[in-house]
This record gives sequence, C-alpha cells and structure tokens, in this order.
Amino acid sequence: MRKQIGQSIVGFIILFPIVFLLILSFGKQWFYPHILPNLWQTSQWESLFSPSFQLTKSLGLSLLLSISVGLVSTVTAFYFSKKIAYSYNKTTWLSLAYVPYLLSPIIFAVLIHFYFLKTGLSGSLLGVIIAQFLICFPFGIIICSTFWTAQIQSLENLSSTLGGSSTQTLKRVLLPLAKSTLLLCFFQCFLISWFEYGLTHFIGAGKVKTLTVSVFSYVNEANPFLAALAGFLLILPSVLLLLANKKLIFKTSNKRPDYE
Amino acid sequence: MISIKQIISWKTALFILMLLPMMLGLGYGLLYSFGVIGLLNTGFTTEHWSDVLLNFNFWKSLLFSFGIGLISVGISLVIALWMVVNWHHDLRKGKLSTLIYLPLAFPATVVGFFIFQSFSKTGFWSRLLYQTGVISEIEDFPSLVNDAYGIGIILASTFIITPFLSLILKGIFENEDVTRFQHIAKSLGASQRQVLVKITLPILLQKAKTSLLLFLIFVIGSYEIPLLLGRQNPKMITVAIVDKAQRFNLDDIPQAYAMAIVYVLFLLFLFFGFQRLAKLKTKAYA
Amino acid sequence: MKNLLVLFASSLLFISCQSSSETKPLNLDDYTWKDIKAEGQAQEMTMMMWKGDPKINVYMQEYIKPKLLKKHNIDLTIVDGQGNYIVQMLMAELQAGANTSEIDLMWINGETFYQLRQIDALFGPWTSKLPNASNIDFENPFIGKDFQQAIDGYEMPWGNVQMTLIYNQDKIQQPPQTRAELLSFVKEHPGKFTWNNHFTGLTFMKALLMDIAGGAEVLKGEFNEDLYAKYSDELWIYLNQLKPYLWRQGEVFPENVAQMHQLFANGELLFTMSNNDAEVDNKVEEGLFKKSSRAYVPEFGSIQNSHYLGISKLSKKKLSAMLVVNELISEENQLEKMKPSVWGDGTVLQVSKLDSVFQKKFNSIAQRHYAPPREDIQKKALPELAPEYMIRLAEDFKKNLID
Repeated sequence: MRKQIGQSIVGFIILFPIVFLLILSFGKQWFYPHILPNLWQTSQWESLFSPSFQLTKSLGLSLLLSISVGLVSTVTAFYFSKKIAYSYNKTTWLSLAYVPYLLSPIIFAVLIHFYFLKTGLSGSLLGVIIAQFLICFPFGIIICSTFWTAQIQSLENLSSTLGGSSTQTLKRVLLPLAKSTLLLCFFQCFLISWFEYGLTHFIGAGKVKTLTVSVFSYVNEANPFLAALAGFLLILPSVLLLLANKKLIFKTSNKRPDYE
Repeated sequence: MISIKQIISWKTALFILMLLPMMLGLGYGLLYSFGVIGLLNTGFTTEHWSDVLLNFNFWKSLLFSFGIGLISVGISLVIALWMVVNWHHDLRKGKLSTLIYLPLAFPATVVGFFIFQSFSKTGFWSRLLYQTGVISEIEDFPSLVNDAYGIGIILASTFIITPFLSLILKGIFENEDVTRFQHIAKSLGASQRQVLVKITLPILLQKAKTSLLLFLIFVIGSYEIPLLLGRQNPKMITVAIVDKAQRFNLDDIPQAYAMAIVYVLFLLFLFFGFQRLAKLKTKAYA
Repeated sequence: MKNLLVLFASSLLFISCQSSSETKPLNLDDYTWKDIKAEGQAQEMTMMMWKGDPKINVYMQEYIKPKLLKKHNIDLTIVDGQGNYIVQMLMAELQAGANTSEIDLMWINGETFYQLRQIDALFGPWTSKLPNASNIDFENPFIGKDFQQAIDGYEMPWGNVQMTLIYNQDKIQQPPQTRAELLSFVKEHPGKFTWNNHFTGLTFMKALLMDIAGGAEVLKGEFNEDLYAKYSDELWIYLNQLKPYLWRQGEVFPENVAQMHQLFANGELLFTMSNNDAEVDNKVEEGLFKKSSRAYVPEFGSIQNSHYLGISKLSKKKLSAMLVVNELISEENQLEKMKPSVWGDGTVLQVSKLDSVFQKKFNSIAQRHYAPPREDIQKKALPELAPEYMIRLAEDFKKNLID
C-alpha cells in the first residue's frame, strides 16, 4: 500500500510536466488566480502546420541540425574508439575524452567563439554543427569504447586470418555486431544536440533558431503559451524514441568503460 | 590515391578534434585576460587577474555553484538509492520501469521553464493553494524561484538527475547481483539494517562514484537552469561569466576570460584530482 | 607529443598575426540614390533588434518584411539582440578581423551608440543619402541628439518614446507623484514595487537622479564625474530607503520588462513601467493587462528619447541596409508604426513638413485609451543624459543595491 502511494507520487511528478505543458500550449490568457488558463486557443497548434510559422521552421532546423551532429559524431567516434581500443595509451585517451564534457558547453563557446568569427562560421548552421560536434563526439567515443571488448578484437582477427579484407570485416562482422552501440551513440549525440541552448545561441549568434532558442525567446517575450508549445515539441521526439525502445536512449550495463 | 591516414596519424587527428579547440580557446582567453590582445587592451597587465582573484563575488559564485551541485546530487542520490533498494523489482518490470525513463526526454530548458511556471509566486501551485484557501494572497507563497538559496535551481537539477542516477544504480544493482549478496548475508544472520549499511549501500556507492562526480560537474556547469531560475546575487558561475562577457562595461571583458580560465582549471582539478585519489585508494587496498 | 605541441604553438601564433584582409571601403560619394537602389536590391540581410514585444515583432515580420521583399526583393532576417550584446558581438568580429558582419542593420540608441562609436564599429556617415531623411525632425533635441551626442550621420532616428509608469486604477486612485510620495507609497504597500535590471529600470533611475540634482539642466552636457558622485550618492541613499519595501525586499530585480509586465498582470506588483508610452494600450489589447490599467508620468518627469538604426562597419550589405532604413522612415511605415493597435511608437518625422494627406492621417491616428495624450506628458519630458551616466548607474546599481 505504502509502496503504491509512493510510486503514484513518482508517476505524478514525472507525468505532470508533460500534461502541464500541453495544457499551457492551448492557453491564451491566464490571470491569477485561475488554476487553468481563463482563455483558450487552438490557433498556435494550427499555425504549426503552416511552413512559414517560426516554430515550424525551428522544428525542421532542429531536426536537421541534430541528425547531422548525431551522424557525424557517431561515425567519427566509432573510428577513433577503435583506434583507442587498440592503442597503448587507452586509459589516457579515454579519460581525456571526458574533458570536453567537463567544460560546460557555454564556457567552451565563450572561449572558442573567436575562431568561429575568424573563419566566418559564427552565425551559420555549419558553425553550430561543428561546435556541437566538438562537444558530442568525445562523448560518443566513451560510448563506443564499450564495444571493443577482447572478444570483438579476436573476432576481427579471426576474420582477417580467414582472408577477409578490412572492408569485408567491417561490413560483415563489425557493423552488424556494433549496431546497438552505434544506435545508442547516435541517439545520445542527437539528444545532446537537441537539448543544447547556451552554445547554440552563442555560436549561432541568434541566427540559428533551434527549438531551445525559441523557448528562450518566447520566455523573453513573456509568452508562456508559445514557450510551452515549443517546450512540448522539444520533449516529443525523445518521448517517442523512448516508447519505441528505451535502450536507445540510455543503457545501464556494466560495460561502461573503466579507466581507473 | 593518398588517404588521410598517410598524411596525419590518427593521434594527431584526434588531438586536433578533441583537445586542440579547447587549448586554443584557453590560449586565447589567457592572452586576452592578460591584456595582450583585444581591441580595448593596451598591453600586458595583471590587473584583470587581480581584479578577478580579489573579487569576493567571483568566489561566492564558484562556491555557490559547487554547493548547489553537492546539494542537488545529494538529494538525487538519497531518492535514487531509496527507490532502487525498495523498488528494484518494479524498476525492472511494469509501469515504473518505463516511467522512470521519461524524464530523460526533458531538456534543461524545458525543466527550467516548467519549474518557473509551476513554482513561482504566481505559478500553478500558488494558484492551487489560493483556490483551496491555504493562502490568502500571493505574498504568502514562499519564494521558490529566483530565490537566495537556489531552491528553484536545486529542484530543476534534482528532477533531471534523479532518473539517470536511479537507472545507473539499478544497473549496478543487477550487474553486481546485490540480491545474492543480500541473501548470503541474511542467511548468515545479518539484520535488515546491517544488510543495507554493510552490503547494499557500499556496493552501490563504490560503483557509482565516478557517475556521481560527473553529475556534480554537470550541475556546476549548467547554464539554462540558472538563467531561468537563478537571480542576480548570488549568481551561478556560468551565468556570471557570460554576464561579464556581455556587460555594459567593455573593460570587463578580459575579466570574463580570466574567470572562465579559473573555472576550467577548477573543474579539471576536481575531475582528475578525484581520479588520482580513487586510484591511490584502490592501490592501497590491493 | 612533440608534434602536437608544435601544432598548438603554431595555432596560437596564428592568433597574434591577424591578417588584415581589408576590402576597399565603401565610398558613398561614388553612389547616387539610384545606384544604391540598383545595387542594394535583391539581397539577403540581417537586422538585429530587441524582440521582447510580440506586437513589435508582428509589425516587423508581417508588415515590413513582406513589403521589402515585394518592393526591393530584399529578404530581411530579424534576430534577437540588443545593447551590450550587439556591442560585444561587433567587437568580437573586429578583434577576429572577420571580413563580414553577422549583423547588417541594428536597432540601437544611447550608450550602445556611444560604445559602438568608441570601438569604431559603425558605418557612416550615411543618413543624408536617404531621400526620406528630409522629413526627419532633426531640429527636435529629443530626436536630433542621442543621449546628448551628435548623431553625425552614423545612425538614423526611427521612433520616439517617453517612459511611463503603469498601474491599475481599480487598485490605486492616486498614484505617487513625487519622490517623497513614492517612498511613503512603497512603505505602505511593501513588496509591490520594483523596476527591472535593464534599460527600463536604468531609465527610471536616471529620472530620479535628475530629480535629485534639481532638474535636467544640472546634468546636461558631457559626463561630469563630480556631479555624478555627488548626486548618485543621494540616489543610493534614497533607493536603499526603498529597498526593504521593494518586491523581494529589493534583493532581486526582474531581469526584463516582460517579466515585470507578467508580475504586474498577475497582481504581484502594483506598478510596471515601459519605455514606450503607448505600451499599456498594446498590452491591454493583447489581453495581458486588465482594462483598468493606466499609464502616467509622475510630477518629477520621465525620460523621452529616440531609438535609431545603425549599419555595421563590416557589413557587406550596407546599400541594402540603407534601402531598408529609407523604407522604415517612410511616411506610410511610420504612420502604421504609430498606431496604438500596431506598436504605438512615436514618429520621428516632422509632420508639418509632410503633404496635407499625410498630415491629416498622422493627426487623426486613433487616440490611445489607456495612456495619456502625448502632448500632456511632453511637458514632463526629460532629456537623456550622456551615455556614461547610464553605464555608471548600471555598474553602481549592482554594487550598491544587489551585491
């Protein structure tokens, strides 16, 4: 009984924000002390279907950005994680991979902004992709490193002893085995990019209007209703991913790299 | 055809991608903070550094961020441990096992916005209490956002971390086969309390310590949440740095770089210092 | 490892030797307006402005933007940013030796203009090239001078506003008119008054400073350290008297006007303020404020100032920017902007210079319902002070009140 109450409370805490955002996204006016908005509207949701609506553009842009960052980071991370796994300084490289994560992305942005200005990348989508990639792919290396166990390494050896070329080994042996790791890495990087605000705003110079940037600009406009709608769109893809397969978002295995 | 491999080794490539940007950033910040470069700087000076290092508010911000981090991780740890110890069956199967993943879908921006809209003086809870007659005016509702103690920031950070931590602890619980150890201890006559204190908690904490450190660093470095829920004083360190860089007074910009460098050094020290410590300890036991 | 260090060192070297690949500066003497029109059209360009007001955003996005596209085939992107953000950004670009700017056109005034001139980030002089500039009321000191500074052709007036306080007449019958009344009012209603931590709040404090100094004349002209020290000391004494009775005991101030408006709308505050005298009308119409909301200017007066448009020095689209500005100051667009239902921004045109049709239109703009008529508050209008006053107030406010 006590357990049920406890779990209901946890359930409420988790579900309430989603419901709250959804309700607020239909609001038009919300005077104190009304518990729910005193005026409602559906026009915000309707305008979402018009391609000229800012939020619709932001949704598309965020998808493009995060998918690109996810893909590039995963490929790069997979390549380097293999090199690291076979190298002598494995532990050093892996602990160095934590460093970009250690710096908060916003501080990283403050420090490297100069170079983005210098190269003309500041304020462009490409610039934001590169900046986010620099944060994401070391994190991807940490995830991918869990794949290169002794067993995988000996399988790879076996394949080449049996005469398989390195491309064949990659295609026929490694990639199929690595599929779940690669997916996990992709979605993790996708989400880091999808959730990022400080660095995106700084490097994007306000021109790259992702969904997170939109939430902040609606908050600054004192428009909680559009902010709620943007917020709801932000949680949507990850909720869908979770429902599809929660293992894609977060894996709790003991195969986390041990660099101690 | 010449491949990239032949031109540069993978180590150089990885160095360029992973470490060089940060080092260049720090290098630029260093030169700027010492007045060597920068539009309004006039030449080498240590003035900006002494301004920063002697500034009480800077240290206060750093300490404030650290404190908020410790408290948030501490609360999350207690909740997560409690859930894993008591509910590990439900976390593996059933509704709770899916629900617990859901907060992972919430970006900090959205959590910050949600906490603001629900916990501010005119937010959802204040309205609910007003309607039910618990409070009679807005002022009766406590300040939970933009407050002096960072309550709003702690609420939001805890909301984000706890599910992650629960899942990590749950993973450890299963992988380390804690149930088996619990059974053995019990059959040897250990009490419920003894099993918890001597078996369960030590195993979970030992395995989770690096994760805990990373969460601490995550909270210290968070930006969106204090931006929405913090206030002008005391200010979280990330917000203080960005604020300094974008102040009215252009002469303050070198100070922003000096602050950023101290902040980075602080975190590197925290992380690698801890690693070193953990290593020594492990050796001592061995 | 050695190689890596060499790489790092050479990259650092790359910073210090900044290539100055300056392209030939644009000389406006070579261009007639016709040339500017021909070369400036059919471009994409970026304007940076404060986007904290939905009505203003709608005017720019849905009225101006399509018009520019149709008339000049200019595709205008509007991005959010103001004041110190703009300065910091353009300064970073100059430092990096960037060969183009993120921002072509920007909404600025006062201390931003001052700082941009200080770092030489503005293009100019250019304003006299625009045909529509002839209608601008440069003679008006509230328009022709920006924070006591000569414009010198480096920025174009765009709109003119006066600061007001906003209250709810159902809750307050007699709003405070003097400093003493304000103090006793705030003491009687603790926790219900504050100002924001940005432009609007600073503008409010400047009006108090002028009142303490005994009128606008005293602080006129260039920044005077002695006068500032003398009167600002009194200001901090006064504000510290208010502090314990302010919202949140004066330990925290709203970050922006939008937040302050929300606090007012929800009844957490009895007053909000606006740098735009017509804003109360907009906000009532939007549904944020109740219909019983009113704007007023206390006896001690409030600052009237103008906002301007500047072009960045590194912009590659300077001619397009000039075309856009010429549109923004056209009779038609100024008229639309002045309508209380649109933005309510005062015009910078000298209406008596316009043809009779437009004179009539300007004079018959729908009256504001919730704000007093412009002529009434004009009497209590205070001129802006030199920009250093604002910069110093911002710093010292943090020091003396917040920290």
